[in-house]
Amino acid sequence: MDSIWYKILGAIVTVVMAFIVGLTYMGLSRKITARVQNRKGPPFYQNFIDALKLASKTSAIHHGFLHHVGPAFMMITSIMSVMIVPILTGDQWFSNLNFKGDLIFLLYIMVFGPLGMALGAGQTGNPNSAIGVTRGLSQMVGFEIPWVMALVALMMQYHTTSIVDLINVQHQSGTWLMFSSPFAFIAAVLAMLGMFRYSPFDIVGAPTELASGPVSENGGKYLFTLMSSNSIFAFAKLTLYVDLFLGGASNIPVLLLKTFAIYLIPMLYGIVSPRYRTEQAIRYFWGWPLFFGILAILHATVF
Amino acid sequence: MNTIVLIFVIFLGGAILTYFAGMLKGILKEILFLATVFVPLGLFYTQISTGDTFNIELAGFALKWAITPFSYLFALIVISVATMAAVFAVSAMRGTKNLGFFYANFILTIMAMMGILFSRDLVSFFIFWEIMTWSSYLMVVYRGEDVQKVGIKYFIFSAIGAYAMLMAIVIVYNLTGSMMIDTLVRAYPAFDFNMQILIPVLLLIGFGVKSALMPLHVWAPGAYSHAPMAYTSVFSGALSKMGIYGMVIVLVSLISYFPQGHWFREVIAWMGGITAVMGTLWAIKQDDAKKLLAYSSVAQLGYIIVGVGIGTPLAMMSGLFLAFMHALFKGTLFMVVGTIEKQTGTTNFTEVTGLIRKMPWTFLAALLSIIALAGIPPLGGFIGKWMLYESLMSSEHYFLVIVIFFSSTAAFLYCYKFLFGFFLGQEEKEWDYVKEAPALMVIPMLVLSFATFVFGVFPGLILNPINEAMQTLGYANTQGHLWEMSVIFNDWGNQVAMQPIIYAIIAIFLFFLIFLTLKSYKNTRYVTTKDISSSGEVPKEHENLTFSINFMQPFFRAVEPLMKRQIDKYYNGFANGMEALFDFTRRIYTGNGQTYAMYVVIFVIILLLLKNSFFG
Repeated sequence: MDSIWYKILGAIVTVVMAFIVGLTYMGLSRKITARVQNRKGPPFYQNFIDALKLASKTSAIHHGFLHHVGPAFMMITSIMSVMIVPILTGDQWFSNLNFKGDLIFLLYIMVFGPLGMALGAGQTGNPNSAIGVTRGLSQMVGFEIPWVMALVALMMQYHTTSIVDLINVQHQSGTWLMFSSPFAFIAAVLAMLGMFRYSPFDIVGAPTELASGPVSENGGKYLFTLMSSNSIFAFAKLTLYVDLFLGGASNIPVLLLKTFAIYLIPMLYGIVSPRYRTEQAIRYFWGWPLFFGILAILHATVF
Repeated sequence: MNTIVLIFVIFLGGAILTYFAGMLKGILKEILFLATVFVPLGLFYTQISTGDTFNIELAGFALKWAITPFSYLFALIVISVATMAAVFAVSAMRGTKNLGFFYANFILTIMAMMGILFSRDLVSFFIFWEIMTWSSYLMVVYRGEDVQKVGIKYFIFSAIGAYAMLMAIVIVYNLTGSMMIDTLVRAYPAFDFNMQILIPVLLLIGFGVKSALMPLHVWAPGAYSHAPMAYTSVFSGALSKMGIYGMVIVLVSLISYFPQGHWFREVIAWMGGITAVMGTLWAIKQDDAKKLLAYSSVAQLGYIIVGVGIGTPLAMMSGLFLAFMHALFKGTLFMVVGTIEKQTGTTNFTEVTGLIRKMPWTFLAALLSIIALAGIPPLGGFIGKWMLYESLMSSEHYFLVIVIFFSSTAAFLYCYKFLFGFFLGQEEKEWDYVKEAPALMVIPMLVLSFATFVFGVFPGLILNPINEAMQTLGYANTQGHLWEMSVIFNDWGNQVAMQPIIYAIIAIFLFFLIFLTLKSYKNTRYVTTKDISSSGEVPKEHENLTFSINFMQPFFRAVEPLMKRQIDKYYNGFANGMEALFDFTRRIYTGNGQTYAMYVVIFVIILLLLKNSFFG
């Protein structure tokens, strides 16, 4: 298993799996949303059809080099996250770069892509894109605070910044961190609402208002890359939550079950919520989520 | 002649020569200037090793010049920024008036900084410190704009800092009878408690002014943005680090040696944290690139002060590493602004837009340094930020780490604003004439920004001198358990290995670049920024779609309460109060002889009236 080729093969398997799972989840969310709103909705595999269609299209225009490579920047973030986050505990195939980076590194690589993509969106000159980007960055400042507070609480309590070590902590103690650090879990879940950008925090894309915002000038291969990157990224984020709070997963069915359970939270919250304004969204995160973040840190320092 | 003396003789001679070389032809003058910057710094790099000393007796004081590994580290910062800024300045300042004055001051600043790093006694330290302050003050007022407001502010704060430092030096001389820094360090633990507090506070006021520590920072935005940009890259990149240099010596060599020192350093670290947050918020608000970068410098120096203030080995390493990185990327960014100012005539985001296709190399330099500033891997800024967070967490600074995180997340906002404001967005006809800057201006920027990339992948290149510097300050060797050539560890043994990560990033990027480009980039045609999707309507040529005014409006609606108070207002209030007081005294001292005679008479009458109660 030490050969470089095995590692590359493992990485490819991981990415393909993340891609498939992510797209399926998105398809399911469309279906569930439709059923809640009493519509029939598209089949759950609709997103695969969309992706295939986009990939086979040829683009007629581009807006310059940065716009051209923007989706590639986005891909770096998605794939690097999926490489760093441990997918299955103790599995050789999925242990890609797990030990080469830690939580802080992950937090920072997670903003690399959106910023690169934002630059690409900036070059198109579409004002909607730039407005979407400024909104997205503002919202990120909002939800990053409770999210980091939750992570800092975990890292301080267990004296490690490695995700693998945090999983091992849960294996040794036999309880999930969700129960042993409940405030951190609440703060992290509330922050997740912003991270997944479902309504009421869909101020970046903002359908019917900003014309899908930063993505608006992309089509064909560009949109395909962005779409698949989003699905991989979503899977990576869900797996991170499972690893941190739900004890990780040792086989794929358990992983799917746990990730989907987490995924339902922002999705179902989104279906019944109208959109916030940007400053309302930021203030939302600096209200209760921040309070729970402070509780989490106090909890971590006292115990 | 001793090489140390030779270096200063060349600097001083060069400064005088360039100043009086008004008659020389332009190119000769430029060569003279470059030679005066490069030759002594080259001599320093090749000839001077740690341990060389030079002693003279001056007016009864023994002066000692030597270089320690710690000052060598800061000398590396000065060398890298000063040489590149000098090359940049030659091309950027061509055609301006008073060129000799600019060159001479530039050289004097560099000489003063090297002098500060060489000084092992407080007398020469103070002299060089004053030369540095004066030469930078002259640069701030060089263009003659707003001298009253900006220049005076910088001057007053520098004076406050200098007097505080002078007072400390006098007290030290009074107590120890020696001006040597080593003597102070040795004698310090035996001082009584009041002196143990007073001396560091006075010294820190002096150093805090230069490193723009809140609340002593108010001069920085004005001064940084009013000096010529070629000089500001040295001003913000290297000169502000002299404050950090002094601060480290005070915090590590003095304050660590008294029992309550821990709390003292905690206060300094929190001041750094607040500086970082407020600097960042004000940076986001600026519409002028110079002001934005100036506030951003204040914020970045805040991070450095946090690291230096905490002072665990990892925190100190992160502070010094960030100091080095800040010199590189902020030096570059000020040069970028200088380039844009020269090519377009403005540095306002609301005026200039869409330069990316006209100035691609400048954009590349700006992009790399912005990524480094934002602390995004794999560039150098990330290494420093990572070490800072990890050190804060392992030293149990729960809330300080959140403060720093908030500030560096909010920093993305002004990073994007900088890149978008200048380079992206709508391309307007107004700026069609703009061309890429000359190679002499572009190359220094690219060199500095690529350096941040190299140091991001191989942080060991910088951490090695930092390690040696820290050992002279009394830290243990950190190589192997806190860092290797391209791996960094925290106190709990977790690691980030840069090399596999960088390979993975490059591989992913290349793969998708090929995927996107194959049958795509060549076959598609470039369309202008007017040819965009806008709900089915086609924007006409004259329609203005530029988005640059109130760029981060929604964010400010959310953080309004934080920004209501401004320390500047309090200073202005204080200044107005003082002015009223002086006005009142002026009414007493009218300058009229008869009034004074009257005062005398009144005084005598009072004396006579109260004679009995006083002398009775």
